[in-house]
Amino acid sequence: MTTNTVVDVHDLEKTYGKANERQYQALKGLNFTVEAGEFVGIMGASGSGKTTLLNMLSTLDTPTKGDVVVNGHDVTKMRGNQLADFRAQEVGFIFQDFNLLESLTAEENIGLPLALKGTSSRVMDQAIHEVADTLSIADLLPKYPAELSGGQKQRIAAARAIVHHPAILMGDEPTGALDSTSARELLDLMTTINREQHMSVLLVTHDPFSASFCQRILFIKDGQIGSEIKRGEQDRSAFYQQILNELGTFNE
Amino acid sequence: MLGKLALAGIKNRRRDYLVLLVGLTMSAAIFYMFANLATNQAFIKANAVVSQAAIIFGFGAVLLILITIVYIMYANSFLLSMRQHDYGLFMMLGATRKRVGELVFLETLILGTLATAVGIVLGLLMSQFLVGLLLDMLGLHLAHLSAFYLPAVIATAVLYVGLFILASLFNLVRLTRTTVLKLLHTDEQANQPKIHPFRQMVSAVLGVLFLAIGYWALAAIKTLQVSAIPVALVTITIGTYLLFRATILVIIQGLRRTKWAKKHLNGFLLGQLNFRVYNYTRMLTIVSLLFAMALGAITVGSGYHRQLPMMANSLGTYTVAIHDKNAQEQKLIDQLNVKHQATYTQKRQGKVVYYNTAELKRQPFELNRGTTEAKYRTHPAYYSESLAKFKKSGSQSLDFLSLAIRSEQGFYAPQFLNAKQFAKQRGKTVTVTTVRVKSMNQDKAVLKHLNKLELQRFAQPSAMTVGNYQSFELMSAFFGGLEFMGYFLGIAFLAMLASCLMFKILSGAPGDKQRYQMLYKIGVRQNLMRHGIAKEIGILFLIPGIMGVIDVLFGLQMFKPLMQSPMSPYLGIGSIFAIFIGLYAIYYVITLLLYWRIVLPKAPAD
Ligand SMILES: Nc1ncnc2c1ncn2[C@@H]1O[C@H](COP(=O)(O)OP(=O)(O)OP(=O)(O)O)[C@@H](O)[C@H]1O
Ligand SMILES: [Mg+2]
Repeated sequence: MTTNTVVDVHDLEKTYGKANERQYQALKGLNFTVEAGEFVGIMGASGSGKTTLLNMLSTLDTPTKGDVVVNGHDVTKMRGNQLADFRAQEVGFIFQDFNLLESLTAEENIGLPLALKGTSSRVMDQAIHEVADTLSIADLLPKYPAELSGGQKQRIAAARAIVHHPAILMGDEPTGALDSTSARELLDLMTTINREQHMSVLLVTHDPFSASFCQRILFIKDGQIGSEIKRGEQDRSAFYQQILNELGTFNE
Repeated sequence: MLGKLALAGIKNRRRDYLVLLVGLTMSAAIFYMFANLATNQAFIKANAVVSQAAIIFGFGAVLLILITIVYIMYANSFLLSMRQHDYGLFMMLGATRKRVGELVFLETLILGTLATAVGIVLGLLMSQFLVGLLLDMLGLHLAHLSAFYLPAVIATAVLYVGLFILASLFNLVRLTRTTVLKLLHTDEQANQPKIHPFRQMVSAVLGVLFLAIGYWALAAIKTLQVSAIPVALVTITIGTYLLFRATILVIIQGLRRTKWAKKHLNGFLLGQLNFRVYNYTRMLTIVSLLFAMALGAITVGSGYHRQLPMMANSLGTYTVAIHDKNAQEQKLIDQLNVKHQATYTQKRQGKVVYYNTAELKRQPFELNRGTTEAKYRTHPAYYSESLAKFKKSGSQSLDFLSLAIRSEQGFYAPQFLNAKQFAKQRGKTVTVTTVRVKSMNQDKAVLKHLNKLELQRFAQPSAMTVGNYQSFELMSAFFGGLEFMGYFLGIAFLAMLASCLMFKILSGAPGDKQRYQMLYKIGVRQNLMRHGIAKEIGILFLIPGIMGVIDVLFGLQMFKPLMQSPMSPYLGIGSIFAIFIGLYAIYYVITLLLYWRIVLPKAPAD
């Protein structure tokens, strides 16, 4: 594995509210990096700033201060179309509420990021069927989201997030709306993507079980990285135990 | 408490409410103006010279009521679409259905009553100023027109408040029947229509068949009489509906399989249209009919406006004939754009009027082929004859004879003398000046003045006209009502049709907001979304527009009996179509801007 840095966050601050309104500082000088091919989890109590952080990384919101470099692009310096193009090309996002367009079939939903790039339809078909095979969702392709279960929807969303080979896959509680079986399937899927495609994954979760699939976990507290643990050579259940222990001390 | 919450909800969407309120107010105002014209007995009696005018007024009123009903239906569904999420939330928080129902009922009724009240006041003002302005612009005079007419106020108030009570009841039932979950998530339901090839084929064939019957009925209005109109209305409506249902979906789904659909947002656009158009079939049908009626009415109105002078011009050669013109009249003549002018000296004695042949040689009397030969009726051809020939034929033309009117019974008989004999001939000497202008519409005001002066000095039998301008005035009195109706109804229909479309489209906006939010998140450029929305709404405007134009092209047949040669309902429709389509485009742009404002995600502020 190469040691290229995919995400580099430096002194990141985010303050909500305008200068003359009531302000709230959600992030207070955050520092961390994610290497290429890493599977990193972000945990923290509710309201600790996890979603805020992910929004900064995916350019859905702009930081108040600090630098965010994703795959060599300085996100904070981008404007307008650059931001949209960045989201379309460099990041794959899986949302808690799926975010599928219900007027399109699963296949059309998955193809959307490629269509935006202007990929030829032949290449598109090929790419769609490739991810569909990887994620075993080929039989779901002609269906509309309304005809799919939550777990199925999320797998389609995952396919859409990676079909254009982004530099990093991000998920904000992607298992949040799923039952335990579907959640487990999705996590296995993300692990497969991470291993086979060497795609970096950043997973925000408050669930220790989900987090145990990661290689490294960052704990956010009071808008800063409170602590960090690594899985190393441990198996998943041991790591799960370690996470529980860490949460125990962390929350004291 | 709940009332306060509801008020807060309304405050949040005050701009959307404003649009709704303005639309409803305008509709009520238009209705009042029309009701004022249509129910004002004195006015109708004074102006409905042609028997058809009364029928057309009545028919117009029925159409306007129907359209008002449809309009309020769509406005109401827009209102409901804005509110149902809130209502769902109230219920989820534990408000009883009864309480929420009361709220819905009151809200709709208050909004409606407010719109009606403001609308009637506005309608009064518009009757006072706008109708007058429109009449002035058209150069028409309609007697006994007053802005305030109590029965019209009552009719408007009763119809609108009645409709709003119905709408409130409808909302009440609708809300209390749907589950809370559905109310909260209406935006997320998008059912995908399926295609059944056989059924689709049948409905396409039936659609064309119905349309053909409708178009035929309009063309055959002479034999079918008034019954042609309801027959056409029903068959064209059904035909359009079936045709839309059969074809649009097939086209969209066909397009979805092409490569084009896989570029940029095209696939999304087609997906949107796919489930939209299906739900919109009924509305698109109605809008296409409204479009046709508005365009048809305006075309007919402007047809009369432009073609009456043409008709008048085919009746004679000179525009006005002035006897013994004085200084004031000469001044007026100098203001005209004269094409041809001649002055003849008459000596009238007994039953005979004598002319000087030397004078007629110098300025031969102009004749118009259009008065005798049908093929020159639309494009008058002027010519003059040799003196010998003129004495035999041209001098007996009505144009020439009318230069010397003797009494109710007829004219002085013309006789021709050479200069010497003419000088010796006794009799009352009169000079008469004939003037032909380039365009009657252009010089209308001056001609009117000139004609008035002439008639004051030389009274003439009332049924008799001298010169094309007098024919024109007479015809205007007959057809002016129709012309005015055409413009008025056309503008009213256009205003309503476009707002129907606007409300229907806008009621889909809350759902679309979420879809565009998703697109925003996965990195679709703002511009691409803008263009996508512009295309989507553009297509929804285009479909009824195209169908409407086709309807009008066939429907104008109906006016052939009312616009006999040289007039024709089809003459010069190009420019009217262009203006109308321009107005329609303005509505499109307004809808688009509103839609963008509601739907487009805002980029984070720096
Ligand atoms: N748009 C906003 N305006 C003002 N404050 C905000 C905004 N968004 C978030 N916050 C505040 O910032 C803090 C962090 O919010 P954030 O959504 O990042 O939390 P989170 O870690 O994702 O929590 P959860 O686990 O509940 O999703 C919270 O205290 C929240 O109140
Ligand atoms: Mg969150």
